[in-house]
Amino acid sequence: MKKALVIALLIIAAIPLLIGVAALPPHGDADTPVQTHVSARYLEKGVEEARTVNIVTAVILNYRGIDTNGEVTVIFTALAASFAVLLPAAMARRAASAESDEAPPVSMVVLFVTRLLAPFIALFALYVMLHGHSSPGGGFQGGAILGGLFVALSIVLGAEKVEPLLKSPFAPWLRIAAPLAFVAMGVFGALLTGFYLGFPQQEALRWASEAMVLIIEIGIGVGGAMIFATLFAEMEAQ
Amino acid sequence: MSTAFDIVLLLLLIAIALAVARTKDLLAASIIFSAYSLVLCLLWQHRGSPDVAMTEAAVGAGITTVLFLVAISKTVRREK
Repeated sequence: MKKALVIALLIIAAIPLLIGVAALPPHGDADTPVQTHVSARYLEKGVEEARTVNIVTAVILNYRGIDTNGEVTVIFTALAASFAVLLPAAMARRAASAESDEAPPVSMVVLFVTRLLAPFIALFALYVMLHGHSSPGGGFQGGAILGGLFVALSIVLGAEKVEPLLKSPFAPWLRIAAPLAFVAMGVFGALLTGFYLGFPQQEALRWASEAMVLIIEIGIGVGGAMIFATLFAEMEAQ
Repeated sequence: MSTAFDIVLLLLLIAIALAVARTKDLLAASIIFSAYSLVLCLLWQHRGSPDVAMTEAAVGAGITTVLFLVAISKTVRREK
């Protein structure tokens, strides 16, 4: 009985989805907007309009900026939700065992190599983050590399070495940096152009357009790195 | 753009995916899965999307694997 109900519900749910798929244009259709003018417009006018040589960044932050704004908000919400689940358990565990966990025994080779490479990884992460407008990369990739560095350091040096960063009064602001930078630049764009996330086109305001892209990239990078580092620390504290 | 190289990478992807599904040791499965991300990263790069390749390498092969390993170390290693 229950099984039949589930199957019936699945079929009912599948019908609108299949109707939606049937209404899609055939794969590779030459008459869809994407093929006729959207991609061409991005490729031809992207550099001039969005002021970024890397067209991917132009699409993500400029043409489709509001999409990305929603995405970074979703990522932050996911972290907040995982906090709600993981944090109480971790707090209780911490209170029960008062002594801080010691650095785990790590082979000397791993310790040396991680310490040697750490500054170079950090520099590369910053380069990827700040150079995203003119070469492959951007805030998210740079943030992931930086987050990976935090994780590596907290494994090798022990969790208490990175704890000051995660427990500092700025930590919540750094975690929400991505949506915050996006909304701030969106409002800034609204003041200049009258549209939320509007990038000014005038030659005199060229600097503003470039600064907006840069600040959003830094926000996404810092926020992403903090979210990865925090998630790892929370899971590790379980 | 050599198609032969793409086909080799795609076949490798299928083989790795099957290996992940068949492995009972979760630690080994996580490591094989990070190899999946690495091959996928090569494929993205070869198909001309370096932005996605970078994300795949950093998130797929790096962060996701670490989070899997932490989860395994907090639970059990063998699939029941």
